[in-house]
Amino acid sequence: MKAWHIAVVAKKEFHGLASEKTILLAVLLQVFIALFSSFLMVGLTSMYDPAALSGYSHFRYDIAYAGNETPLLGYLEGSTALRVHQMDLSAAIELLKERRLSAVLYVPDTRPDSDDPVKITLYTLTDDLQGAVVDVRLKSVFLQYEQDLRTVRASRLDVTPIPLQVPASAGSGDFFGFVYGLLVPLLVFLPGILSAALVIDLVTEEYQHGTLETLVSTPVTFAEMVWGKVLTCAILVPVQAGAWILLLSANRIAIANPILILLHVTLASSLLILLGAVCALHYRERTAAQFVFSTALVVILLFVLALPYNPLNLVARLSVGTAGAEQWVVLGAIGLTVLALGYGMQKYAGRIWREQSGK
Amino acid sequence: MSAGRDIATIARWEVKKTFSVMSRNILPVAIVLFVLLVLVTGFAAQSGLHIQDGMYRIGVDDPKVAAIFASDARFTVYQESDPGLAGNNGVYDLVIIKGVISANPTEKGLSAENALERDYAQYKNSVYANESDLFAAYPLWIDTQSVESELNFSATQNGQYMQVAPGRGPPLPQGPVENVPTPSPTLGITQEDLRQELATSSQENTQVSRYTDVLSPGQAAMGSFVTPDQLSPPLPFDSIILVFVFIFPLYFTSQFFMMSIMNERIERQGEPLLSLPVKTSSIIIGKMLPYFLGMLAICAGITLYIRASPLVLLPLIPIIIFFLANALVIGMLSRSFKELSFISIFFSTVATSYLFFPSIFANVHVISLVSPLTLIVLTIQGTAWTVSDYVYATALFWLTAAVLFYIAAQNFNEERLFSEKKFLPRIREFVSGILPQRHPYAALFLLAVFSIPFVFMAQMMGLVVFFNLPMPYSLVLLLVLAALIEEMAKTAGIYTLFVRDPSFFSWKNLILACATTAIGFLVGEKLLLFATLTQITESVFGSVLFLSLGVLWMPLLLHFACVLIIACSLKAGGRKGLIPGLIAATVVHCCYNLYILGWIR
Repeated sequence: MKAWHIAVVAKKEFHGLASEKTILLAVLLQVFIALFSSFLMVGLTSMYDPAALSGYSHFRYDIAYAGNETPLLGYLEGSTALRVHQMDLSAAIELLKERRLSAVLYVPDTRPDSDDPVKITLYTLTDDLQGAVVDVRLKSVFLQYEQDLRTVRASRLDVTPIPLQVPASAGSGDFFGFVYGLLVPLLVFLPGILSAALVIDLVTEEYQHGTLETLVSTPVTFAEMVWGKVLTCAILVPVQAGAWILLLSANRIAIANPILILLHVTLASSLLILLGAVCALHYRERTAAQFVFSTALVVILLFVLALPYNPLNLVARLSVGTAGAEQWVVLGAIGLTVLALGYGMQKYAGRIWREQSGK
Repeated sequence: MSAGRDIATIARWEVKKTFSVMSRNILPVAIVLFVLLVLVTGFAAQSGLHIQDGMYRIGVDDPKVAAIFASDARFTVYQESDPGLAGNNGVYDLVIIKGVISANPTEKGLSAENALERDYAQYKNSVYANESDLFAAYPLWIDTQSVESELNFSATQNGQYMQVAPGRGPPLPQGPVENVPTPSPTLGITQEDLRQELATSSQENTQVSRYTDVLSPGQAAMGSFVTPDQLSPPLPFDSIILVFVFIFPLYFTSQFFMMSIMNERIERQGEPLLSLPVKTSSIIIGKMLPYFLGMLAICAGITLYIRASPLVLLPLIPIIIFFLANALVIGMLSRSFKELSFISIFFSTVATSYLFFPSIFANVHVISLVSPLTLIVLTIQGTAWTVSDYVYATALFWLTAAVLFYIAAQNFNEERLFSEKKFLPRIREFVSGILPQRHPYAALFLLAVFSIPFVFMAQMMGLVVFFNLPMPYSLVLLLVLAALIEEMAKTAGIYTLFVRDPSFFSWKNLILACATTAIGFLVGEKLLLFATLTQITESVFGSVLFLSLGVLWMPLLLHFACVLIIACSLKAGGRKGLIPGLIAATVVHCCYNLYILGWIR
């Protein structure tokens, strides 16, 4: 095997990718996915925790309170997000239907220390976004009142939970966990998956367009050609993943250990790319190879995700700076698998080529 | 009748060919992979997904407290004595000393605190659920009732509503007041039943549901009764599952169709098929039919398996046809496998997001009806939907699919299928393929009419994306996007003509061409709006998207002016004039919209 030959093939493939602008599409695709996931996240956090968007926080929702007077009324009046009107239940429901109130509460006259629970009826509108927003605001008030009632009835509890004092939350939401625990691993591994699909296309194209005959007349061997294609796809992985890391940093999402992350991603992706190449060599036809590979990919991904210390988890740990020495063990294991699979592919390609030229 | 026979014959060939290609070692491998998939799914459900493991380091002084958080793999828990903890504040994201939680004032620390709080609430619930006096542990229950409002949703878009004037005491209802019975103060469920429900709902909080918790914290299991902790907006997590269950198989199968079309083009293999004395439409329908039936069968099978109502299939049919139409066009357009892969992945991502994102808000907001998937969610929940809902949700899918099929049928010939041109010129060729050569004005008119469903779909997509943003930004972005998309659609025809023959554009012809495009666009817009989109147009967002429809002559003038700007820019600067022309036209369009909205006076 000559490195020079592999480089020539890789160069040719890069040329093809550049002239077809497919790589542009790949980048566009990734940007789109990232855009959508962050939009989704921002949208949902703003819906469930409206205070997270400061623009909403000054808004006060009108609600009605009907029935018995309890300390709950005081808590509601103390809330900066709600404006409470005490009124008759029937009138309040009509107002709700006219959309001039966002919620109606009815509180019965159950004593705080009664054997029965206090049952509050909460009326909101169906299919209404502000109903959802008001629910969130009411929840904190209800929790406060629940705590009061629990204290009154504390003597009837068998076991009390270990008390922990929770500081008044600044309401950071789930953004950090989402970004570092899901978005970052996903984004840096996406190029690997795309590259694996790409290598199948590159290999099967040679078969289906009948360009293998031309190859026989050149000094490049079949195995060298496949390696050239694998190399092309493998090089694209750290380039794209690196671009992601830079982009995220530009968006003030600092990623620790970028070099190590790229190392992990490249090695793990190489495994997928080699697998794709073997699939393509075996089936020699795009439909079949892509079908088998993508099904196998789902199986592999699910399996890997269910293992502790999987590469995605290691990327998450690395990006927040909590990875320990165990990462080297995983890295070593993946490296060995890549070597083994690469050796297997080399042998397999050689055998196929001998069969081919024998005919 | 003979067309029917032709279609049947071609469909039979297609099935035979696919099976001969696929049979080589595929079936055994597919079965093995399927078995593996089932096994792995079981394993993953058991062991959970380990992505966020070990992200946070926490220090605790009390082993009993450490035990609470030991089961959460996100935390690496260190146990130390007080002075050690206090001195090592930087190492840990969060420390708990003598029952007091203090987090690092970083984003990571706050996030750790957030996760910890949830774990603690869960722990408290697990203790309380075992109390012998359940109503001492859970003294407060909320009975959630929803009230139907006769008022149309337009007033309350995006969380706004008619506010009661402050400071004048309680508001008074305008309509007649119906007597509402006072709710009974008792729950009407025994303690034991409640305890069981509580146990099952707290068991759901496993490793897997932690990821889903982000989307739907705490699910109500006890009918309309919830504890305050479980009170959360109704968000059906079903839609994600539905995307996986219904849409992914469809996407997979349409890939086979795409590939079959592509295979006809490789090395001119499809020549014999094209030389048959059969209409092109018969060839296309014949090749498509097996896939259509297959996809329908898959959907029907899934519907039977999850025991849903067969009504679920109704909204799925336009989705299937939409997927097939796109697969056909993509298979005809792409030059190589690489291109096919990336275009199809890109298409499926866009289509899936278009289907999926609105349906998340299925029970929350009417905007969700943009997606047919919402109808499926509603059907499975047992909520009824009307014919107009169906038309509203699926019309764009039917129309775009129809236009795509028409384009494909007109271009399904040797010249186009086997050409080796680049991607964008190919698209231009395809478009000009459906335009009569001798009547450029009729062509421009038709193109403008045809482009309307695509424009609306793209604008809907924008609506879905920007809906998530807070109010002023969403409107402004939507405004700009809507204008840009419309201008791009209007330019398509003029640009195609310009590239074909730049000398055609004398000043007179230029003005005529712009006028026909503008009229075509207006006619198409009006037609589609009257047919379907009345619901959306009544909302705040609708007024931004479609507001150029108010008085007839004003939008016509606007369309004309904008196209004219682009055409002049093309005439002056050649092809390079396109982008500046587009930008200028978009700015003009936006200003017009703002003026109509009354923001510029």
